[in-house]
Amino acid sequence: MPTSTELLQGTLDLLILQTLATRSMHGWGVAQRIQQVSKDVLQIGQGSLYPALHRLEYKGWIRSDWGNSENNRRAKFYSLTRAGKKRLETELEDWDRLSAAVGLVLGRIPEASS
Amino acid sequence: MISEWISRFRFFLRRDLLARRRTSELDEELQFHVEQATAANMAQGMTPEEARRNALIEFGGVEQARERCQEQEPGWWIDTLLQDVRYALRGFRRSKAFAVSAVLTLALAIGATTAVFSVVDPILFRALPYANPGQLVSVGFTHSLEQEEFLTGKFYEHWLANQRPFAAMASQGTMSHPCDLVENHPAELECLTFQAAMLQLLGISPVLGRSFLPEEDQPHGPPVVMISYALWQGHYGGDRQIIGQEINIDGKLVQVVGVLPQGFQFPTLEPADVVQPMALDAAVQNTVNGGFGDAMRTFARLKPGVSVAEAQAEMQPIFKAEMAWLPAVMWDLTRLNVRPLRAREVGDAGRVAWILLGAVAAVLLIACSNVAGLMAARGAARQRELAVRAALGASRWRLARQGLTEALLLALAGAVVGLVLAEGLLRMFVALAPAGVPFLSKAHLDGRIAAVTVVLALVCGVVFGLTTALHQPDGLVVNARSTLSRRHVRLRRALVMGQIAASVVLLAGAALLLRSFQRIEDQRLGFTTHGVMTAQIALPGFRYNTDAKWMEFHLQVEQAVRRLPGVTAVAFSDSVPPGGWHGGTRFSDITVQGRPRPAPGEGGTLVTRRVTPEYFRALDIPVIRGRGFTDEDRTADAPLVVLNRLAAAELFSGEDPVGKRIQPFGTHADQWITVAGVADDAKNSGLTSDEQPEIYFLQRAVADDWTSRHAVLVVASALPEATVAG
Repeated sequence: MPTSTELLQGTLDLLILQTLATRSMHGWGVAQRIQQVSKDVLQIGQGSLYPALHRLEYKGWIRSDWGNSENNRRAKFYSLTRAGKKRLETELEDWDRLSAAVGLVLGRIPEASS
Repeated sequence: MISEWISRFRFFLRRDLLARRRTSELDEELQFHVEQATAANMAQGMTPEEARRNALIEFGGVEQARERCQEQEPGWWIDTLLQDVRYALRGFRRSKAFAVSAVLTLALAIGATTAVFSVVDPILFRALPYANPGQLVSVGFTHSLEQEEFLTGKFYEHWLANQRPFAAMASQGTMSHPCDLVENHPAELECLTFQAAMLQLLGISPVLGRSFLPEEDQPHGPPVVMISYALWQGHYGGDRQIIGQEINIDGKLVQVVGVLPQGFQFPTLEPADVVQPMALDAAVQNTVNGGFGDAMRTFARLKPGVSVAEAQAEMQPIFKAEMAWLPAVMWDLTRLNVRPLRAREVGDAGRVAWILLGAVAAVLLIACSNVAGLMAARGAARQRELAVRAALGASRWRLARQGLTEALLLALAGAVVGLVLAEGLLRMFVALAPAGVPFLSKAHLDGRIAAVTVVLALVCGVVFGLTTALHQPDGLVVNARSTLSRRHVRLRRALVMGQIAASVVLLAGAALLLRSFQRIEDQRLGFTTHGVMTAQIALPGFRYNTDAKWMEFHLQVEQAVRRLPGVTAVAFSDSVPPGGWHGGTRFSDITVQGRPRPAPGEGGTLVTRRVTPEYFRALDIPVIRGRGFTDEDRTADAPLVVLNRLAAAELFSGEDPVGKRIQPFGTHADQWITVAGVADDAKNSGLTSDEQPEIYFLQRAVADDWTSRHAVLVVASALPEATVAG
């Protein structure tokens, strides 16, 4: 099972931004959501998750607010900023280009267009 | 003190408060994560204890997680740096002896290096303060009596008309001369002349006013001067109204048209306060001085792409053609010379400067390896501590950084103390330095030199910081008592060997220097300095403007001094031994009666001195044959000379010269000078050279013998100097 350390550095950022795109979430929520959506393939350990969240916050792409969790505990909720949304868009484009390119090299995608 | 400053700095940044809040928030956030994980585990059916235990295990190191989050903060490294610094300072406080000796060692080395660098920087490295100084050259003739290039008016005009390698040429008078500022606050100044084109040639603009106009640089042009920055600031208080004002130089009113920039240096390095236009008159230059014109110093700017050697080669045909104007006697003696202005200004000082720099570099190396040794010893003593820190999770890089921080702190402290020391050393050096060290007035600690010091300190820091950082323990040595790795031993051995090598070089150099100095001190001078005083009297040249007036004054002084109690001998001379300026001539210019004229260029040079009779008695130079001069000789018609032993041997090759007659070059064909006697040799060309042949001319009480404006009073006295001087 791939662990977070095997993820490309930028990929984790992309996953977090994408996860936060729909609604604000606390760190635990982000990790659970990524695991759930990826059908348990991607498990983000806290050792990568929190430094990444803090890094993104210092870069101004996400911001944090204290709120109450579903079980009524004080928790830190992260949400995308405007700059973060823009960043997500460019990162998605980059990702598409990169994955398409890697796919081509590996010969996994038939060159249907040509 | 430093830590207090640091905490103030932190308070200023409010980092402390913010950081504390952030830490507690981070703790809460991580705590929340663990709780959620516990809850999830419980939902899977674990007992609360089991759930929490598993959650914590899954989570891993809380402390590492926190640190990694904190590392994300921009400027995080400042915090760790401060932490390192604080830790280092605490360490230094614990081992004061180490810290103090390391800082002092470094301070000594950096101080000495900086002081010496300040002195040699203008000599070796700093560009001359002119526009494109690399293109500037000193041009002219040299001969055995004058090693610095010169031209005379006739040749200069010819060069101007025919030269090709130079983009521009300009001349200045051969020597600055004393002149007087006549006003309510009179001052004795140094005056110099140069052509209007000189400043343009050098690429210098006046700081105030303007340069000379071409029409002012003409014979009988309007009387104008430029003044030095120092005179403007010192005498006129920097008054900008000085431009256009008339000042009285040597009794003549002249208008100030410009002020030279601060630190302006004449290409001859003369310290002139007032510059007058040279006002060369081509017609006059073809008549005065035997038709050759006045002597001058000429400087030129090479055309782009022309090298010094090419310029010299291109001037050679012109020079060859000009030799036809000179008597054949001069042909072999006169050389054409084109040399970079830098070479002329720096002279022989360059070699000495490199030696000084090398010596001080050795000192720096010794100090660096000393401090490295200290650091290594301290590192060995601290291996336990380092091992403990490593065991607690400090990375190797972190430990190395700690070592580097300590080294850099020491180096910086050393640099600060060293700079203070350097300022003191520099002042001492300037005060003690012998005459003839060029640009000494320009030697000061400036930004560049401070930068060199800081770089030196940092290099030192990195070098000895690395030596300690590199042999940090690989494994855990908490229990080990001694773990001197082989690499460590080899390193230390290399350091010690380097130190010994550098020390030996320095010691040998110093010992040789001392020995030479001792020899110079102990050698026989050939004359007495004990109880002998010399003095020179500065007279306003425009008042004592004839040889007769000049002589009159000095003869009166002689009479007055002779009447003083305790005075045993009084004499005048145009120069005094052992070194410094003196007159000179060549053997080939002296004909001995009854012998053929010597071939040109034969035999080398002699020292000449014009002295009054008591000179020999005043300096206690024994007359070994014939007699010295007497008071009666002074009023007699016939001129006399005394030769020193070397000159007598050379001119008369063993015969008794007394009563024989000689004729120096330039005297009338029928005028012969009788040799009165032979004096013993005395040091006459510096303490480090052998005695040279010398001719003493009698200075009679006739105006013709007082044409030189050099007059040194020599007084021998039985009383202490202070009494006589009073």
